[in-house]
Amino acid sequence: MKNLVAVGLIVAIACLFLGCLAQEKAEVQKSVKIYGSGASFPAPQIENWIHEFSKANPNIAVEYASKGSGAGINDFKQKLVHFACSDPPVKESEWRELQNIGKPIQFPVVVGAVVVVYSVPIEDLKLDGTTLARIFMGEVEYWDDETIRSLNPGVNLSHEKIWVVHRSDSSGTTEIFTSYLSLVSDEFGKKVGAGKLVDWPVDKLGRGLGGKGNEGVSAILRQTPYSIAYVELAYAIREKLRTARIMNADGYFVKADAETIGSAIAASSSLVPDPREGYREDVKMFLNAKGKDSYPIVAFSHVLLWESYPTKEEAEAIKTFWKWALTEGRKHMVEGYVPIPESVASIALKAIDGIRGG
Amino acid sequence: MDKFKIFLFPFVSAVFGVLILMLAVFVLNSVSIFQREGLAIYTTNVWIASENPEEEYYGILAATYGTLYTSLIALIIVLPIAIGFSVFIVDFVPEKFKEAFIIPTDIMAGMPTILFGIWGVFYLVPAISGFADFMYKNFSFIPLFSYYNPTGFSYLAAGMLLSIMVLPFASSLIREAYRAVPEVYREAALSLGLTRFEVARILLGYIKPSILASTLLAFGRAVGETVAVSLVIGNAFNINPSLFAPGYTISSLLANQFGNAFVYEYMPSALFSAGLALFAIGLVVNVAGLIVLRRWTHV
Amino acid sequence: MYRRLKDDLFVLFAFASALLAILPIFHILFSVFYNGIPVLAKYGVEFLSGTLPPPNKAGGGVFPAIYGSLTMIVLSLMLGIPLGVFAGVFIAEYPSSSISKAARTVLVIILEFPTILVGLFVMAVMVIPMGRFSAIAGAFALTIVMLPYVATYTEQAIRSVPQHYKEVGFALGLNRFRIVFSITLRIAKKVFITGLLIGMAKVSGETAPLIFTAGNVWRSTGALNEPAGAIPLWIYYLVQQPYSNYHEIAWGAAVVLLAIFLVIFLSARLMVRS
Repeated sequence: MKNLVAVGLIVAIACLFLGCLAQEKAEVQKSVKIYGSGASFPAPQIENWIHEFSKANPNIAVEYASKGSGAGINDFKQKLVHFACSDPPVKESEWRELQNIGKPIQFPVVVGAVVVVYSVPIEDLKLDGTTLARIFMGEVEYWDDETIRSLNPGVNLSHEKIWVVHRSDSSGTTEIFTSYLSLVSDEFGKKVGAGKLVDWPVDKLGRGLGGKGNEGVSAILRQTPYSIAYVELAYAIREKLRTARIMNADGYFVKADAETIGSAIAASSSLVPDPREGYREDVKMFLNAKGKDSYPIVAFSHVLLWESYPTKEEAEAIKTFWKWALTEGRKHMVEGYVPIPESVASIALKAIDGIRGG
Repeated sequence: MDKFKIFLFPFVSAVFGVLILMLAVFVLNSVSIFQREGLAIYTTNVWIASENPEEEYYGILAATYGTLYTSLIALIIVLPIAIGFSVFIVDFVPEKFKEAFIIPTDIMAGMPTILFGIWGVFYLVPAISGFADFMYKNFSFIPLFSYYNPTGFSYLAAGMLLSIMVLPFASSLIREAYRAVPEVYREAALSLGLTRFEVARILLGYIKPSILASTLLAFGRAVGETVAVSLVIGNAFNINPSLFAPGYTISSLLANQFGNAFVYEYMPSALFSAGLALFAIGLVVNVAGLIVLRRWTHV
Repeated sequence: MYRRLKDDLFVLFAFASALLAILPIFHILFSVFYNGIPVLAKYGVEFLSGTLPPPNKAGGGVFPAIYGSLTMIVLSLMLGIPLGVFAGVFIAEYPSSSISKAARTVLVIILEFPTILVGLFVMAVMVIPMGRFSAIAGAFALTIVMLPYVATYTEQAIRSVPQHYKEVGFALGLNRFRIVFSITLRIAKKVFITGLLIGMAKVSGETAPLIFTAGNVWRSTGALNEPAGAIPLWIYYLVQQPYSNYHEIAWGAAVVLLAIFLVIFLSARLMVRS
C-alpha cells in the first residue's frame, strides 16, 4: 500500500505543479511574449535594449536567442519566432521564399563596423584594402614585407610569419569583411569571393587558423603572436584588442569609432530601399564609402518582421518594442554600436506602423 | 489472449512505434540528398551552403572521420586505465573499501554530460593548448603532432574528455567480469608460486571476451556523445592525422548546423543522412558488443 | 629478480590507473564547486529567482532555466512512467512471447540511440508542425530518452520476485493486474524505484535532445506549449558566449545542476542500501 501512497503522492505533486502552471498562465495572460533569434553581431545591443525596454514595459517579454544570421532566418521562415536579425540583408532568392509564406519586411536597426585586429607589438598599424586582401589570401607572408613597410614608414617590423585568423562558422561578419575585400581587390573577388563561409586560400598554406565565433577568433589572436584577424568593433573594444587603421576611399587612414562610422553612413537614407522590398539593399553600399573621415568596413544589421501576425496582441507588442528600440533605444547604445540615422529610422518606423494582427 | 495482455499491448507497441517512426523520419528525409549526390555525401569533405540550391553540395567525411578518430583516442586512453583500475579494486583494495572507489565512478557514469563540457572548456582545453604548443615546437616531425593549433580545441581534447566519460562503463564491465572469475583459478595460480602480475595476466586472459565487449560498448557511447564534444572539438571541416588539429564529429555537426539547416534546400536532408550514418555506426558497434557479451555469458 | 621487477611495475601500473581513473572526477566536482559556490554567494537569492542580465551587467539569475527544467522533467515523468512501466510489465509477464524478445532488443537500441538524434526527430515531428519550440516538445524528447531505463528496470524488478509470491496471489483469486501492481512491484519496489530515479537523473541532465525542441528562453517563463529554458541548455549556450558574467552564471547553474543530480543519485543509492 505504501507504494501506492507514494505513487499517489507523486501524481498529486505533479498535478499541483501543473495546476500552478495553469494558474500562472491565467495570471500572466495579459502579458505578451515575443520571440526572436539570429545574428550575434547586434546581440549585445539587443540584449541591452530588451533589458531597458522591460523596465518601461513590464507586460511585454522579449526573448532573443543569438545563434547566427542563418539560424535566425531558418527560425523565421518556419515561423518559430516573431522576428529575426541578420547582419547582411536577405538575398533575393530567400526573400522570394519568404514571400511564399507571408509578407516580410526588413529594415536596419543598428550600425556596426568590422575591424582588423592584430597581435604584433606595434601601436599603430596602417593597412590599405589591397594589402589586406593579399594578407588574407596568404600572398603577403612576412610582417616586414615591402607592402606593409611602405604603408608604415619608420615602424620596426620584424621578419615573422603572418598567421591569419578567420571565422570557422557561417557568419555575417565574414560576409561583410569578404564583401569589402572583394570590392577593393578584384583578385580576392575572383579567387575567394564574398560569403558567410568562404574557402580561405591561406588555410592551404598552413598559416590559416579558424575560430568559432568572435570569442574563438580573439582567443586565438591572443594566444598566437604575429597574427591578424577581423572581428566586430564592439567586441574589439570590450576585449581591448589592437585595431588597425584602414585606408578609406579618399586615401586617409582611419580607425573605427562613432564618428567615422557616422560619416560612412551619412548618405545612407537615399540608399535604404522600402522595407517591403528589403532584398534590394546591398551589403556593399556602405563599404569603402567616400569622405575623408569615413571608415571603410561599415554595415547595417537588420531585422526581419512579418507584416501581419496571428493575434493583435503579438502585433502590438512587436510594434511597441521595435518602435521603442528605434526611438528611446537610441539613448541606450552599447559602446561600439551607432544608432541608425534618423532619416533611416523614420523609413523603418513607417513600415512598423503598417504591421497588423488578428 | 487475456485481458491484461490486451491492456498492456498498446504500451509495448508504443516502444516499437517510437523506433520505427524515428527510423522512418531519418530515412525519408535523407532521400533527397541521396538522389542528388548518391554516396558522395559520405565520401567527400565539402560543405557548400548556398542560397542558390544549384550550388549546394555536402559531404560529411570530415565529421565521420572525427567521430571515429576521437572515439579511438578515447579507447586507447581508457582501455589500459580501465583494466588497471579493475585489477586494483579487485586485487588490492580490501572488501570494506571497494565501495569507496566504485561510488565516484558511478557518479561519473550518470553525471550530466554538460558538466564535463564546461570543465572541458575551462580546464582541459587550456591545458592541452600549452601541451600542444610544446609538442609542436619539439616534435612536429611526427605526424601526430604536426599541426600548429595554439587554441587547444582539438581531436585530442574531445578524445580525452570522452575517455573520462566512458571510463565508468568500460571499467564496471571489466571489473565485474574480473571479480566473477572463479576463486579456484586464482588460488591455483597463486599456489604455483606465480607473482601477482602473472596471476592477473592469466585471469585477464580468461576474461578477454568481456574486455572486448566493454571496448565495443564504450566505443558506442563515445560515438553518440554530443554537447561535451561539440564544446571542445573546434568545429572545423578538417581531416588531419594530428591530435592537435580541430575537427568535427557527426553529433557536433548536427548540434551546430541543424539550427540553420532549413534556410537551405538540401542541408536538412544532408544532416538527416548524417544522423543515419551516426545511428548505423552506433548500432553496429553496440550490437557487436552485445553479441560478444551474450555469447560469453552463455558459455 | 626480473620477475620481481615486473611484478612491482605491475602494482605501480594498477595504482597509477586507479589514480588516473579517480582523479578527473574529483577535479571536475571540485572545479564545479570551486567556481560555482562563490557565484551563488555573490548573486544571493536572486540567482534562483532572477532572469538573465545583459552582458557584463551585475546580478540576474537562472529562474527560467530551473522552471523549464522542472516543467519538462515532471511532464516527461508523467508520460514516461506509465509508458515505460506498462511496457516493462508486458516484457516481464510474457517473457517467452516473441513481442517481448523483440521489445527487449528495441529498448537496447533506443537506449544507445544518440540523444541528439532524438532531438532532430522530435523537431521534425512536433516542433515544425506545431510551429513553435515548446516545453511539451522538449518533454517528449526526454520521454524517449527515459523510456528504456524505466522499462528495463521495471522488467528487472518483476523478474527478481520469486514465482511463488505470484502463485499466492492467484490462490487468493486476484487478477493479474492486482498481482503485478500490489504484490510483485511492492516486493521489488527497491529495484523499481531505483529505475525511476535513474531515468529521472538521466533526463534532468540531458542537453542534446533539448537544443532543437525546447527552444530556450532567457527572461520569461511560459505555458507548456511555449518555448522553455533548461539548466543544461543554459550552460551549453552561456559557455559559448564571450562575457565573463555569463561564464559566472554558467558555473552557478552547473552547481545547481550537480546538486539536483547528486540528490537523485544519493536517493537511488540509499534505496539500494536499505
